[in-house]
Amino acid sequence: MEEVINDIVDPEDLKKFEKKYNKELVAGHITTNTQFEYAWALTRSKYGNDIKKGVGLLEELFQQGDEQTQRDYLYYLSIANFRLKDYEKALKYCRAILHVEPRNHQAMEMEKLIKEKMAKEGLLGMAIVGGVAAVALGGIAALGFAVSKGKS
Amino acid sequence: MAAGPYNYSYIFKYIIIGDMGVGKSCLLHQFTEKKFMADCPHTIGVEFGTRIIEVSGQKIKLQIWDTAGQERFRAVTRSYYRGAAGALMVYDITRRSTYNHLSSWLTDARNLTNPNTVIFLIGNKCDLEAQRDVTYEEAKQFADENGLLFLEASAKTGENVEEAFLDTARKIYQNIQDGSLDLNAAESGVQHKPSSPRGTQLSNDQPANKEGCAC
Ligand SMILES: Nc1nc2c(ncn2[C@@H]2O[C@H](COP(=O)(O)OP(=O)(O)O)[C@@H](O)[C@H]2O)c(=O)[nH]1
Ligand SMILES: [Mg+2]
Repeated sequence: MEEVINDIVDPEDLKKFEKKYNKELVAGHITTNTQFEYAWALTRSKYGNDIKKGVGLLEELFQQGDEQTQRDYLYYLSIANFRLKDYEKALKYCRAILHVEPRNHQAMEMEKLIKEKMAKEGLLGMAIVGGVAAVALGGIAALGFAVSKGKS
Repeated sequence: MAAGPYNYSYIFKYIIIGDMGVGKSCLLHQFTEKKFMADCPHTIGVEFGTRIIEVSGQKIKLQIWDTAGQERFRAVTRSYYRGAAGALMVYDITRRSTYNHLSSWLTDARNLTNPNTVIFLIGNKCDLEAQRDVTYEEAKQFADENGLLFLEASAKTGENVEEAFLDTARKIYQNIQDGSLDLNAAESGVQHKPSSPRGTQLSNDQPANKEGCAC
């Protein structure tokens, strides 16, 4: 799991997906796939600003997605927020997947890792409080109301 | 995950590719956990697994990237092919379409890995003999024509799962020994870890920094 999170995008790949995205942006129609590819590449960047941009794109995708793709976006939102060290948000997104698919082992491993990280940083108390409020999966807005915003 | 000094002398990177639902994640799980996951959801993007094995008295750490088979993930999962020392290409012996798509997977693998990457073809779900849709013989012929190693396996019973992962490693190790695989090449997919004294960090296990991002 840590390997997936620590994996950094090849700068050439990022450039490639960015180019494709910008081309469609200029043409006035961005396909879901192009946006997703670019978002995924961004969230694997070394740079916080790229990751944040990726989060924005994923949130947009989430709004338009069906149940299956929404699960994917939640997973990447969880990873991206983890990389931004916003562990509370990461945990919320992760739990939203588990709410729908309680036995999703990718989400289970992710949850375990986030909890370990939070325990290490003394944040776990807050997470438990936050967790109660975070189970409803009704869209980003519902997931977004944080009990206490993570330090970011 | 493992901490402490190196207890292995090589790292081999593997990828697992093939259509959705052929059993890639189950094969990985069977290999790393020795368990069968009866109903696992489709993989989101990529998954990672690792196990230390022994080949010719050398401890080798396998770092295995399991990719999602869906088309919408394909552009991104392609970036994981780079620098793979081994590629396990999987089809489902009960679903002919997954076999018919092999040439497309093989083209990707050939284009995106290096010429020395060992490609192993796995015909999975061989426990479902009654539903067989692809014969052993034709798959074997396809493998021979394309220079692939080949076995039928079952992630469910575990049959031939160890063999597929280990034979791939043996072949890679053999390529190192006979000099056909250059360890210094950027994308060999192999890292040599000269046994180092205690206290050496495992951090260069990962090319990137340990904490993930530098934000
Ligand atoms: N009978 C049988 N079923 C299997 C085997 N391997 C995987 N499956 C089932 O096939 C489905 C897809 O497996 P999965 O590993 O998720 O496929 P992936 O999409 O290639 O990763 C799951 O329902 C598994 O339980 C096998 O060797 N035998
Ligand atoms: Mg899978």
